[in-house]
Parts: sequence; structure tokens; C-alpha cells
Amino acid sequence: MRGITRRSFMAAAALGAAGPAMAQDMTENERALYDAARREGKVTWYQGQIQAEPSEAIGRAFSERYPGVTVDVVRSTSQVAFQRLSQDMRAGVAQCDVLSSTDASHFTFLKREGQLLQYRAKNADGLIEAVRHPDPDGYVQITYLGVYLIARNTQKVSEADAPKSWKDLLDPKWKNQLAIGHPGYSGSIGGFCLLMRRMYGWEYFTALERNKPQIGRSSDDPVTLLNAGERSIGIAVSTGTTLLSKSRGNPLALIYPTEGAEGVPSPSGIPSNAPHPNAAKLFLEFAASPAYFRVTRQFFDISLRPEVPPPEGARPLDQTKLISNTPAELEAGVPEVKEAWRDTFGV
Amino acid sequence: MARHLRGLTTPAARRPASLRPGRFEPATIVWVALIAVLLLLVVAPMVTLLVTSFRSRTTGAFTFANYLQAYGRPRYLEAVANSLMLGLAASGFAVVFAVPTAWAVSRTDMPGKRFTWAMVLGAFVVPPYLGAIGWILLAGPNSGLVNRLWHWVSGEPTSLVDVYSFTGLAFVISLHAFPLIFIFVKSALDLISSEMEDAANILGAGTWIATRKITLPLVWPAIFGGIVLVFLETIALFGTPAIIGIPARINVVTTQLWQFFEFPVQVEVAAAYAMPLLLITMALIGVQKLMLRRRGFVSQTGKGGERRPIALGRWRWPMFAWCALVGALAVVMPLSVLLQASFARAWGRGLSLDNLTLDNYAYLIFRHETALASVWNTLWFSGAAASLAVGIALPIAYIVNRRLVPFGSVLGFIAMAPFVIPGIIMAIGFYAAFSPPPLRLYGTAAIVILAFTARFLPIAYAGAGASILSLNPEMEEAARILGSGRLRTIARITAPLLRKSLLGGWLIVFIVATRELSTAIFLVGPNTRTMAVLLYDLSEAGNFEVLAALGGILLAITMVLVAFGMRLAGRDFMLRRS
Repeated sequence: MRGITRRSFMAAAALGAAGPAMAQDMTENERALYDAARREGKVTWYQGQIQAEPSEAIGRAFSERYPGVTVDVVRSTSQVAFQRLSQDMRAGVAQCDVLSSTDASHFTFLKREGQLLQYRAKNADGLIEAVRHPDPDGYVQITYLGVYLIARNTQKVSEADAPKSWKDLLDPKWKNQLAIGHPGYSGSIGGFCLLMRRMYGWEYFTALERNKPQIGRSSDDPVTLLNAGERSIGIAVSTGTTLLSKSRGNPLALIYPTEGAEGVPSPSGIPSNAPHPNAAKLFLEFAASPAYFRVTRQFFDISLRPEVPPPEGARPLDQTKLISNTPAELEAGVPEVKEAWRDTFGV
Repeated sequence: MARHLRGLTTPAARRPASLRPGRFEPATIVWVALIAVLLLLVVAPMVTLLVTSFRSRTTGAFTFANYLQAYGRPRYLEAVANSLMLGLAASGFAVVFAVPTAWAVSRTDMPGKRFTWAMVLGAFVVPPYLGAIGWILLAGPNSGLVNRLWHWVSGEPTSLVDVYSFTGLAFVISLHAFPLIFIFVKSALDLISSEMEDAANILGAGTWIATRKITLPLVWPAIFGGIVLVFLETIALFGTPAIIGIPARINVVTTQLWQFFEFPVQVEVAAAYAMPLLLITMALIGVQKLMLRRRGFVSQTGKGGERRPIALGRWRWPMFAWCALVGALAVVMPLSVLLQASFARAWGRGLSLDNLTLDNYAYLIFRHETALASVWNTLWFSGAAASLAVGIALPIAYIVNRRLVPFGSVLGFIAMAPFVIPGIIMAIGFYAAFSPPPLRLYGTAAIVILAFTARFLPIAYAGAGASILSLNPEMEEAARILGSGRLRTIARITAPLLRKSLLGGWLIVFIVATRELSTAIFLVGPNTRTMAVLLYDLSEAGNFEVLAALGGILLAITMVLVAFGMRLAGRDFMLRRS
């Protein structure tokens, strides 16, 4: 395992950034998977964790390393990705090879229903300790650790005036200035609602409603509104999308709330009826390798491999206070907060 | 188009062929085949839905519980009320945009008719959700260009317009729906000869009175038909309410239906929720039928008629100003901001040299695995669906209007029915009816094409029906008296007269299919994604630049095809009066 890392690193050094993997660089497992994957030709990836652009970049990096296997990215919010998979299953049609979601309870459910393929990537041993063993039976693999916090438009809100905590957002001075995604679409916003409810009770959201936040769908929707100057504070936006947008010249800054940022360990898994199971397994191997996180790092996502440093402008994980939900809490709580949200906000 | 007809009609007398004993009419086969197609495309998904609405999700047993659940909460009822009000408001705006514009283009000597026509076409081609995003960039309360301009001019801190409101939502929807009314009204006006207005003028009526009392009442069926379509289109729309309605806190039927499809997918409750909408449409179509029963609307006859443009005098330019305003609101303004965004690194930074980039387009064309595939999917699904819809609608409209089969009006109703089913529900009906064996169509191109065909059959049918209605049978009768059979009559008389409107009908279905989101969203698989679905997925990704670029590609391709089609239709138009 460690050997392949070093070898592929040397291969990469010899060939330039990302060349195809030479047969002799591959482990036996990898080569066997690649041979089978090449016959299958592609991976269809229902992707709810990160945006379309980094996902496409991952797909390209995968195809460069494994010529002849392409990645079809079907990007949406996590709840929509799961909805599509549920539809496929009800119709008895197999289309999805890899599901990636920010709502870990999707996998608890699929596993319980016997709808997941058991495969633990050999490369997963090299992931950082915290995400190395998300499932004792090896049905899921963490491919993304989302950190969701507050973002501000630096032209509208100075650092001194900025809110410091989730609680500060209830201050009436932020009326008509806030923006947030929707728990009916976004997995991470569902998790955020649970965290706030646990800390402050549902009253947190009735108070938030009085500040009239603008509601979008994805947790990343507020970034768009902040860039435009439509709203000035984004609630529970991801570090990756915000920093990427900032790097492109938008006036944005991150705020790490004092209660802790929402940490979302986000799994991927292979449906048991995946039409391209070997390509899917190879993809999960790739998703646990440094090459994967070198790509996502360019889009300011947090690296889950010790070899790949954190992206510029983001706090290293070990210095970030994170608050999280367990899959069981998500499974029980998200349906409740979705309903409560709709009663409170009307949509 | 004549080719369609030739195969589908054979000598059949006024009385239904099947009722006459002792003689087999080949036409019967055609009618039976048509009925079978309608049953498969429209009735099967709808019956599946109806059955589903009374079925328990867990046990499959008969139950009313779905209806209780669907209407058991004030929030769900509110969504129905919101949809109905939205439909009315959008129709109202659309009439204001469409009728004067159509009248000016068809009947007057207003300058800039080609420009106006192009604007209307543009409004139609631009997908509503793309226009919605354009209007978010224009009329966002703080960041919108219009509001920033207003702050700058007036010094007032309040905003002038707010897209995130009920009015804003209805306004944006109507900007892309008014062409439906325009097209109907204009083609109806095109058929009225000036002699009717002349008669009014001779009796002392001025232009305005003649227009109000003679011209507009004559095209009332077209106006009303257009209003019905806009109303139904509005309550069926999903993309715009999702993009503008969620921030505006307006829940409508379609966004509520989406909620019923969230995990666990409650198809049963959604089906129950959709049923009352079906009743509303039945009522609307019933009203429309009653109004048309007066039979006073035939304006194209076998006798000669002359058409002269009305001289507007000093009103020429104000009239044009109105048309230009409509064009600016529906096309020029939203497309300009979208175009700017598509070439921008960060659209919020506005127009500056260091903000310019081609990278959004390069990303889609070179670095996106499925963007170009979605372009291709969109074009061929739409083309196939348009051909099927026109091919099915025309013979149905013909046999219904010429009363060639018993219970023809039932066929007409079935052909019109899909319009009321919100695309999302249509999609679920198709999903429920066609994904299980033996058909197993889910995830294939066929299911998307068939759903598009069924969904837009009413447009093709209404168009074909209206043009057949405007043809006085005396022209066919003249041919038949002279010894021609029905087949020959249709090929030589009816079809040439209808050719232009059929091509028009094909184009309309093609265009609405290229922008169709709500039907596609539940039926596409990874290999059959259309641009509309990809655009919708991009709209929640905080990346309007790439979205705008994909929108730009969609529009460029559609415009080229439409220009090509209009050339064909246009040439026909030039020949028509010679």
C-alpha cells in the first residue's frame, strides 16, 4: 500500500504531473481492477459532495491515470442524488456505479437494505486516522470531509462587525443580509439544522426566520449571492467553494464560528447492482489515493491524505473545532428538521 | 406534411366508416392505430397515476389515505392556491405583452416588425429558468442591475423592483410564456381580411373601434386559447418556481410535488395531490369549448379577401416603442447580463478587461465529460418528439373537427389532457407506467422522447385544430363535388393550406422541448441528460458563469436551427398570396 504511493509518486515525478499509470506501477489488485474496468469502460458517479467543476477534474485525472475508463459525473445536491438513486432502484434499473453524498444516513439505509456492494479500498489504509474506518464491515469510504462555516462579503461587512458565532446570526442587525441553503436539497444543511437544534432548540430557526435569510437549495448557493452583493453573510457554506470563489477575485472571507464549524465526513459507496462494479472499485481506490486529493486541493477542498497539505487559506483540520452528527442522528433527525424547516420558513 | 396526411386518410364519408355495414374502410385501421397510440402515450400513464393515487405505498391495498395526506396540511393547500393565482397573474401579464404586439405585427404598418417578431421568438426560445436567472441578476433587490441603477439615479436606498416576490415571479414567467398567446393571436389575425374592418369603417367606426369591436372579437378564441395555455404552462412550471419561488418563500404545486418525491419517494401522495389539477383543466377546456360553440369565427373562406395594413399615423412609433419594451424585458436585458456573466471570471465584478475570459466555454467544451453529449441529446430528443407530436396531432385534429369518428371529442380531450399534468407528474406517470417490464424504458432515450411527445401533444393539437377550424370545409367540399376522393382532397387542398401552420407547430414543439425541464428531470439517466437538466443542476452550484455559458451554447444552437426553419416557413409565407 505504502509502496504504491511511493511508486506512483516516482512515476508521476518521472512522467510529469499526471501520466497514465504504467503496468509495472500498479499493484496486483489495481492491475486486476483496471483490466476489468477497461472492459466496462466507464464509471457513472452520482456526486453530491463537491461541485461539478472539481468533480469533472477528478474524472479527468482518473481517466488520465487509467486510459480507457471515463467518468460520467452526475452532479446535484446530495438529497437529489439519493432521490435519483431511489428512483433507479424502484424502477429496477441499474445506472449508478458510485454514490457520493454528504448525508451519511443514505449509506446506513442502503447497507441495511442490502443495496451496497462490500468493498474496502486497499488505499483507504493511507487515509488520515479520523476517516480510515467509517464502517466496520467495509461498505463505505469517506471521500470528502466538508467543513461548513460562516462566510462574509468583505466589502459589506468588516472583520470587526462580523458575526463570531452561529448564535450571533440571530442579531436583528443581520435582517435581510443572511443567506442559507435548504435541508430538503442539501445534506450538509440538514446536518446543520440538527446541530443548531441540539444546541439551541428549534427556536434558533424561528429566530433566524425573523432575520429573513434568503433560502437557496445547495449549501453553496449563498456564495453566489455574496459574490453579487445581494446578501452579505452566508450561513453554513463550505470552505472549498468559498475559497475557490475568493481565489477568482470575489470579495469573500471565512469565519470559524466559536461553537465550532460543522464537520461533515461524507461517504461514498457502490450500489450492489452497479453496472460497472470493477470500474467503481477502481474509482474508490483512486478516491483514497493522494492523486485524488491533489486534484481536490486545487479546488480548496480538505485533504484526507497526510501526504497532501491542506489547501491555502483553510485552517488545518487539527486546529479546527468541528461539531458533527453521527449517521444514526442524521437518519432520525433529518426528516424531522426538513418538516420543521418547511413549517417555519414556508418553503 | 402532405406525406403524413396521405397515409392517414382514405375516403371516409361524413358518417363514421365503422358504423356502415358491409363495407370495410381502410381508414378504420388508421383510426384504431391512432387511438392505440393515444392510449399508450396519454391514457396509460394517467390511469397508472390514478390507480397509484388510491394505493397504499407499503401494502398496495386500496386507500384514501394518500388524499388525506396530500391535502391534510394548510401548507399543501396554500401551494395549490399559490399556483392558481400565479397562473392568473402570469396570464394577465402575458395578454398585456402579447395582444398589442401581435395586432401591431399582423395588422398595422408599424416599423420594426421583423425586429418585434425576432424578439417574440427570442422570448420563446430562451428557457424560462435561464430568463429567471437573468432577472435575478437584473432585479435582485440589492445586487440587481436595475436596482443599482435606480439607487444611483434616485439616491433612494430602497429597491425599485424585487424579483423575489409574487409579482416578480409572475412577471418573469409571463415574459417567456406570452409568445404562446402572440403566436395564436397573430396567426388568427393574419387570416382576417380587411373587408370586415372596412365594413365597420364605412359605418363610421374609427380604427380603434373597429379593432376593438370587430378584429379582437374575431380572434377571441385564439386569445382565450392562448390564455388557457399560459395558465396551464404556468401551473406546470417547475424550474422558475424552484429558482425564484424558494427564495421568495412561495411554495407552488410543482415544488410541493418535488417534496413528495423526496426520499422516501411518495409517488402515491403526489399522484393524489395532482388529481384536482386535472379537474381544473377539464373545466377550463370545457369553458373553451362552450365559447367556441358559437361558430362565428370562420374567417378564411373560399371567397377572395384582401388584407391591407392599418395606417397608424403618429401612433407608429409609440406602438413600436411598446414592442421594443417587451423585447427588451423578455430578451435583450436578461440575455445581456447572462452573456456578460458567461464571459466573466466573476460576474459580480462587472465589465472590465481583467474580468473577461473564455474559460467558461472552454471548460464546457473541453473539460466537461457530458456537456456536449447533453447538447446532442437535447436536439435529437426535441426533434424526434416534435415530429411524433405533429404526426399524431394532425390526423386527430382532422378527424375530430371533421367528425369522422364517433366520440371524436373524447380523442380531442385526450390529446389536450397532458397539458394540465405538470411535467413532473407526467414524468412520474411515465416512470410508473413504462419502467417496469415488459417495456423497461427507464433510463433510455425513448422514455424521454415519448414523454416530450405526450407533454407537447396539446400544443401540436391546439395548433392543428385551430388551423383546421379556420378552414371552411367548403373548399374541400368543392373538390369533392368535382369528384375528388377524401385522400386526394386532403393532399391537394387541405394539406397545402395547412403546411405553414404545421411547420409552425413543429417548431413550437421543438423549441419548448429543448427548454423542457420538469418532464425531463425525473426521466433522464446519466446517459440521457438534456441541457435543461444540466442547467438546473448548475443553477444550484453557485456558478452562474458556467451556467450562463451553457445557456449561451443552447441558445446559439437553437437560434441557428430556428433561423433555418423560419427561412423555410418564411419562403412559404411569401408564396402564399401569389
